[in-house]
Amino acid sequence: MTAGFWRQVMAVVERDLVRERRTGDVLWVTIPFGAIALLLIPLAVGTDALLLSQIGPGMYWVIVMLFGVLVAVGKASSETLPQQDAAALAGLDPAAGFVGRSTSATMLLLAFEVVVGVVAVGLYNLTLIGIPWLIVTLVIVAVGLALLGTLTGAIVNSTSAGTALVPLLVAPLSVPLLLGATQAYDGLRFGHSILSWVLLMAAVVLIVAMIGVLTARPLQET
Amino acid sequence: MQTQARVRRWPWVAIGLSLATAFTLSMMSPADSVQGDLVRIMYVHVPSAWLAYLAFFVTFIGSVAYLLTRDLRWDRIAAASAEIGVYFTGLAISLGMIWAKPTWGVWWTWDARLTLTAIMFFVYLGYLALRRTTEDPVLRAGRASVLGVLGAIQIPLVHFSVIWWRTLHQPPSIIRPDGPAIQDPLMLVALIGGVVAFTIVYVSLMVKRIELIHLEDRKSAVESAIERPVAGEAVTAPKLGASS
Repeated sequence: MTAGFWRQVMAVVERDLVRERRTGDVLWVTIPFGAIALLLIPLAVGTDALLLSQIGPGMYWVIVMLFGVLVAVGKASSETLPQQDAAALAGLDPAAGFVGRSTSATMLLLAFEVVVGVVAVGLYNLTLIGIPWLIVTLVIVAVGLALLGTLTGAIVNSTSAGTALVPLLVAPLSVPLLLGATQAYDGLRFGHSILSWVLLMAAVVLIVAMIGVLTARPLQET
Repeated sequence: MQTQARVRRWPWVAIGLSLATAFTLSMMSPADSVQGDLVRIMYVHVPSAWLAYLAFFVTFIGSVAYLLTRDLRWDRIAAASAEIGVYFTGLAISLGMIWAKPTWGVWWTWDARLTLTAIMFFVYLGYLALRRTTEDPVLRAGRASVLGVLGAIQIPLVHFSVIWWRTLHQPPSIIRPDGPAIQDPLMLVALIGGVVAFTIVYVSLMVKRIELIHLEDRKSAVESAIERPVAGEAVTAPKLGASS
């Protein structure tokens, strides 16, 4: 990967972030949607404070998985076919495009995780333990979801089902991340080592990243 | 002509013979001292689960091979295998639930193996759904093969779940470092016989399904060629026999 490759990555990141600044999709739509979902859960399961503090972390991660993926998919599928063709003709390396879109989605997902996390801590009375490990978990989940969302967004792009198919594809594939994140939080709460869960999530992220980079060109051709 | 008909019929004959053998072996096997006759469900449940792994692994291999060679035959193998895999995963889950109700007292328990198997089922259901969204065989193959590779992440997770987590589901019964857990030779023969029979069923179904996918692709190619204008939109094929 040359300096040219990384320049292309940075150009794609910049483009996506500028687009987000203009449209505000994540800031004004997805984040409030996630916060509303956290508000609705206690109305359905009961407002017992102890129960909510027990299920809160799990609910937070489920919201991150289900809503967070919309962030990544939105960015991946927002390009029209003529735009994709123009990017290809301009010499954009498909792998650089994938890495760039995933990076910008990671940044937006981190913002989503932090804001919705603050809401969850407040509403569910959660205690934050092992903050450095928690940050590591948040970053790995954001990277993993961004990669999965970007990859599946590219797979379904211009199919007849469009992005409607993405949740069906991403939700089951993100299970290792959901398991790792929830188990890591429980491990921190009970003072256990969470290294094995962090490694599991990192391994999944690495595999998805490899698949994404290696299949970027074949996917562009479709 | 007769030989051709015989060749076309062999998968069905193989399926019939294999299933009949598996059924006979499972009926000859003694009832379990604890589970009673319920154990016979295992002679279908275990081979179905094995077949699901095999099928999804073949989908993975077919997908990788397609991405490397761009030969549509690999994509047909991947697609056929995923369809069979989804069917047998569904069968394994359903039979597991029927067995669990009298044994564990519940249809479903949040056991790692059960939950991850259900998730694997949905991953490949998504794979099949994705295939239905694209008509063009080449475009469809490109997209589906990437998902076929991605979906394979779940296979080791499901298999090793009984080792990584403390689960209700029992660990592997046959392939174990200290030999098979089943002591009764008739039970072991019935289980291994079932696995072999189901593998033959899988191969036979694969042969028929691949043939069918090939015919479907040819049919849609012919149909799209008929609908396509002869030389752009301006010149179209004459409609012979039209009254006006």
